Amino acid sequence: MPTFKLDDRDIEFQPGDTIIQAAHRAGVDIPHYCWHPGLSVAANCRMCLVELGPPPGRGPLLLDVLRYDAKTGEYVKTKKPKLVPACQQPLTEGMEVKSQTSEHVAEARAAVQELLLLNHPVDCPICDQAGECRLQDYWLSHGANKKRMRDEIVHKPKAVSFGPTIVYDAERCIVCTRCVRFCDEVVGDHVLDKRERGNLSEIVLAPGRQLDHAYTLMTEYVCPVGALTAKDFRFKARVWFLRSVRSVCVGCATGCNSYTDFDPRNQTVYRYRPRDNERVNKFWMCDEGMLDYRRIHTGRVLAAQAGGKQVAVDAGLDAAADACRKIDPNTSAVVLSAQHSNEDNFALLQLAQRLGVTRLFLSGRPEGEGDDILRSEDKNPNRTGVIGLCGLQTPGSFKDFAALAEQGNLRTVLALGSDAELPDRASALSKIESLVTIATHQGPFVKAARVVLPASSWAECDGTFVNRDGIAQLSERAVRPQGQSQPAWKLVAGLASRLGHDLGYKRVADVQAALAPQERSGAAVQEAGATA
Amino acid sequence: MTSQLTAPAEIVEGLGPNRVRGKVVKRPQRDVAVQSYIPEVIRGIGITLSHFFKNTKEMALDQRNDPVLESIDDGINTISYPEQRRPYAERFRGVHRLTTREDGSPRCVACLCCSTACPAQCIYIEPADYGDDPKRGGYEKYPKRFVIDELRCIFCGFCVEACPCDAIRMDTGMHPAPYDSRDQFIYEKDLLLSIPGRDGKHESANPRHEPGDPTFPGIDRERGH
Repeated sequence: MPTFKLDDRDIEFQPGDTIIQAAHRAGVDIPHYCWHPGLSVAANCRMCLVELGPPPGRGPLLLDVLRYDAKTGEYVKTKKPKLVPACQQPLTEGMEVKSQTSEHVAEARAAVQELLLLNHPVDCPICDQAGECRLQDYWLSHGANKKRMRDEIVHKPKAVSFGPTIVYDAERCIVCTRCVRFCDEVVGDHVLDKRERGNLSEIVLAPGRQLDHAYTLMTEYVCPVGALTAKDFRFKARVWFLRSVRSVCVGCATGCNSYTDFDPRNQTVYRYRPRDNERVNKFWMCDEGMLDYRRIHTGRVLAAQAGGKQVAVDAGLDAAADACRKIDPNTSAVVLSAQHSNEDNFALLQLAQRLGVTRLFLSGRPEGEGDDILRSEDKNPNRTGVIGLCGLQTPGSFKDFAALAEQGNLRTVLALGSDAELPDRASALSKIESLVTIATHQGPFVKAARVVLPASSWAECDGTFVNRDGIAQLSERAVRPQGQSQPAWKLVAGLASRLGHDLGYKRVADVQAALAPQERSGAAVQEAGATA
Repeated sequence: MTSQLTAPAEIVEGLGPNRVRGKVVKRPQRDVAVQSYIPEVIRGIGITLSHFFKNTKEMALDQRNDPVLESIDDGINTISYPEQRRPYAERFRGVHRLTTREDGSPRCVACLCCSTACPAQCIYIEPADYGDDPKRGGYEKYPKRFVIDELRCIFCGFCVEACPCDAIRMDTGMHPAPYDSRDQFIYEKDLLLSIPGRDGKHESANPRHEPGDPTFPGIDRERGH
């Protein structure tokens, strides 16, 4: 592979790479606002200026400039090298690029930073971006100069509603056009554009339109400053209180990589952010997925129920064991969940095997809207995983299950998850004599159940999810289990031990060790996720 | 050396069966008057009563000394707290207060800088959005709840230092009153807003100079360069 020299380091590049692309891949950060690895090059922020060494056999390209001499108070004729934006400059073999080591670059970047902050309102106290804002970061690392301009700043519209999810603040905007390019290039909806020039420029909506496509929250995420803020996250938390874990979105079968941002003090999840993964979601996530964190705290089953009353989890497990003792393979079934992780489903499959239950069914959330960008019609994160776990014994659909239940052929059913894939057939569940449900959320299976056991959600325990392309990915635990809930595999293990079968699962690692290699998140996949 | 080894005159050599060396002390005089304690008790009551009448007279006639001047004098001086109080220093960090804008709304914009800086973690703020509320007057964010646990507070003043809006101050010159239950030490927003500064005002001593104000330090478009 050809190499070029960035400061004192030799970095490999692929033909056609720009300087910033190759540096980004090698893990070297060249300061930038408008460049984004997933978008086209705009080169309008001028933050990534670098100094190039002269081409072979020629002298350096120098510009005549006047430099102010503070001692004499006069301007002196001098020369300085022509700087180029690293986001636009293609690389050639042996090119010498100076980024950190050039004084001209440092001067230029400090000047760019001063220009970008010239009309900035500096309302960081009320800005949600504060703490993860590039204007703040680069101001600190590029001079941290006090403002020299004594003029009143140019005032522009503040807190403009762009649609159901996004608020725009034109004063904070540096008009990098990342949001415009995202809408144009990734979503294909030309809803945003730029108007006016210079310090009057701002982002506007297309006439008669609202920012209401399925990926609006990504415009907030690509915004390097606090110009676009999400109505959902607005004023909810300060980012420096939040901690992140690497998670996988469970909103649909795509399995987008995400970060779960939560406050460890009150054990509350505040948002999802996309996590770069070239193989799955690249850099993006959809609105539906980014707002899916709300399900962690709403509609949950937080206590065990037996006979219509709330009981302790142990008493619930006892009641469930009583129900399961009557299991007869001819009139019993086990319902697996495409909403739950491989660990949970695997534990339940093991128990089903020990109890001799051969009728397996698979349920999940009903189908929804999909598109060609990211969203799947299948709104379940682990359908592929569960079918893989079952092997040759392909589980039946919810339709078959409802038909069997309707005929009254099912006496005892052990179900994971509370989702009925066909909501209009959910009434059949009431025909089941004794239904034991292990569920995270309220739903038809919980309503019809004789015994309900509260399971922890995906954010409260580690779990592996296999997406529609068969990639197994690990979602890490963020918060502690809510209420009395426990991980579903643990509830299954507790139920099994009461029925005289020891599954031997004490920690989640025990379950993962029992999974086949292709069913747990492989090291290769994790690495692929980590490169971006 | 030999002279030191000889015992002094009043030291008696070899008293009693164990031949203990010792000094002969005269027994105290204990006559009936001393043993009955009565004259001493009367003398003590006399001192107490003389102080009582002196203090009562001074209080009734408002002749008490200034505690500050008195504290400069030598000797033991008594300040009759809580009627008399030693004045606190100019920069004494007292109970917190929240300053208000001219329209009475809190200056606080709920940026959570104070609760971030607080080493005792005693400040709890719930931010909210003014939305389209006409009261907002150019502001977007305000604290829906602002709670300080004065029992947890260590009065370090970091919150005041951290505040970018001069919304929280400790210039009240008061310390928290000794309440009789813990929940009374939890100061809510309304209480914090109701406490005035030493000058008796609720507004900040450092008003915000908006670009339109005549006090605005910068040059604006109307005034030119």
